[in-house]
Amino acid sequence: MGRTDSLAKLALAYGVHLARRRLSRPRSQLDDLFDTYATDGIRALQPAERERHPHLVGCINCGLCALAAGRIGQTRLSDLASSYMRLYARLGEASSDIEGDAPDLEAAASACPVGVPLVEVAAIVRRMTAG
Amino acid sequence: MSPPSDHDVCVIGGGVTGAGVARDLSLRGLSVLLLEKGDWGAGTTGGSSWMIHGGPRYLEFDWDTTRLSTQDAGYIVSIARNLVYRVVFIIPVLPHDKNNIERMETAMEVYDRFQPLKKAHPHRRLTAEEARQAEPGLTPDVIGAVTMEEWGIDPHRLVYANVEDAVAHGARAMNHTEVVDLVRDGGKVIGVRYRAADGAMSEARARVVVNATGPWSPRTSGLAGLKVELRPAKGIHIVYPHRISNFSISAESVDGRDLLMVSHAGFTLLGTTDDDYYGDLDSVDVLEDEVDYLLQAFERVFPSIRDYRPVRATAAVRPTLFKWRRYEDELSRRYQVIDHATEGVEGFVTIAGGKLSMYRLMAEQTSDAVCRKLGHQGPCTTATSPLPGNESEMEPAAELARRCGIPALAAVKLQSRHGTRAEKVLDGGRASRLVCRCEPITEAELAYSTRHEQVRSLADAFRRVGLAAGPCAGAACVMRAAEVIGTELGWSASQRFASAREFVRGAWLGRAPVLGHAGWAQEELAQGAMRGLFN
Repeated sequence: MGRTDSLAKLALAYGVHLARRRLSRPRSQLDDLFDTYATDGIRALQPAERERHPHLVGCINCGLCALAAGRIGQTRLSDLASSYMRLYARLGEASSDIEGDAPDLEAAASACPVGVPLVEVAAIVRRMTAG
Repeated sequence: MSPPSDHDVCVIGGGVTGAGVARDLSLRGLSVLLLEKGDWGAGTTGGSSWMIHGGPRYLEFDWDTTRLSTQDAGYIVSIARNLVYRVVFIIPVLPHDKNNIERMETAMEVYDRFQPLKKAHPHRRLTAEEARQAEPGLTPDVIGAVTMEEWGIDPHRLVYANVEDAVAHGARAMNHTEVVDLVRDGGKVIGVRYRAADGAMSEARARVVVNATGPWSPRTSGLAGLKVELRPAKGIHIVYPHRISNFSISAESVDGRDLLMVSHAGFTLLGTTDDDYYGDLDSVDVLEDEVDYLLQAFERVFPSIRDYRPVRATAAVRPTLFKWRRYEDELSRRYQVIDHATEGVEGFVTIAGGKLSMYRLMAEQTSDAVCRKLGHQGPCTTATSPLPGNESEMEPAAELARRCGIPALAAVKLQSRHGTRAEKVLDGGRASRLVCRCEPITEAELAYSTRHEQVRSLADAFRRVGLAAGPCAGAACVMRAAEVIGTELGWSASQRFASAREFVRGAWLGRAPVLGHAGWAQEELAQGAMRGLFN
């Protein structure tokens, strides 16, 4: 009974929806989507970042990059990839952690046993924390 | 055996429902004993999808379930602001999906009517191109998409916040304490007999005993010679130690089920399965076939999914109410409060079925039933009384970080677990040094959790503060964490070592089914870092 009632109500809603679609002109809702959730830190990766993303999040936190090149701002390099690159919704609140000098990220990346491209990681984290 | 303690109510089961019942009754002024055989939220609650959601899926079956769970989700969002975050789904529509884009948008339009109840925004409709701008990883085959908003939550912290508040209002709560028998007087249940963490047997008397043991309910009710019938359903999730996307994504499985890739606070859950389960509730294994079933579905929508390295898988059993003949997925997530007096057993109440999103309502109705039995007048206040850490607005994380000398990200995470009580956690005089760098967790927080939040093992710390939940899966932190916890609990060196070994072995069971190429490389590193633990 509950299911029959639910399906009947959905069928009615479907008819109303189709009629509305025929009578109205659709507009893009993408900007609305981004605006609505910007304060929640929900932002899109760029296509190039997306393609590289599995490598960007491959850190296993062995710490070798930190031994090779130290810190970015106040943050140990290995934390950048293992912690900040996890894209927390509230990442923007942690921007102060990575302000300041950037170390030799190429040298750090060359020490990484799983090939995390730290130059790109730093760029993305900075973009995401900047909002 | 020590003389029995006396309580108004004894609640068996420290999942979210049992903890919710204990909190509710304590707030109503009753004396409550809450007992959990494992750790808080370690069973079904922790193995959930970590969402309080209205369940648009139920619109096909039962709008009332959608309304009730949406409304209750709204209450939880208000009382547990530090624990929740928005989860925004992109629901892509592909050729040959069971629902076309118009049907999908219709469902979302209907769901939008319920969204204000949980303070969520209405859906958006995206063209194929727009969907791939929002999430470039979507397949080029996508026809269009709609979005949907839900709330993510840390269920372990939600359970503990309920326990903490119950204790603050006079309850006694003990984890790692197993009820082995019910104490009976003729046809009446008058208490429980339990084994504490140290192995000591004790008895507690209670005017009413509540069975809130989820899938274990039939076993618990069996102690009173009663039959509670469930249709337990197993569900697994694959866990990635990072967000794969800032958007969550849905996919249709090969058998037409809706699966979800949920972006949580720094990690991703991909699930879930839904299969009748007849095995041992205390040992639920993840099968490689189940992992492949999930990956197959998501590969169609998000082709690069197999390039990502999962860190573990979880398995749990849902306490679904019994119904013959239906497919598992079609079973209702409704719940039932059973007063066993109707079967001739006084003083014993079971809460069965339900879902995380409705835990508060389930707890309220169970507590109402208990109060009726006791003749106790006391209104339920759990919909409006904030959980610990939500009594006032949180300060900006950067300020807390500066004042306490910790990274801002550590402050963000600390606030997400403890809310406005975050600074108090760091007040213990312990170093603010990071012990788990992936999460990140300070030594002070770990010590606090051991001292004040009933952490008795590394696995408890995983649940309470997220220890070893990150990309290193514990390789870099379990030994140090064992030192911190061991110092608090007075462990010897060998006890600390044994604790780390127990954790590593337990974690391996969840990791083995999802290990791919990169996973094995990490495993070698982890085993190198922990050499000696496996001897």
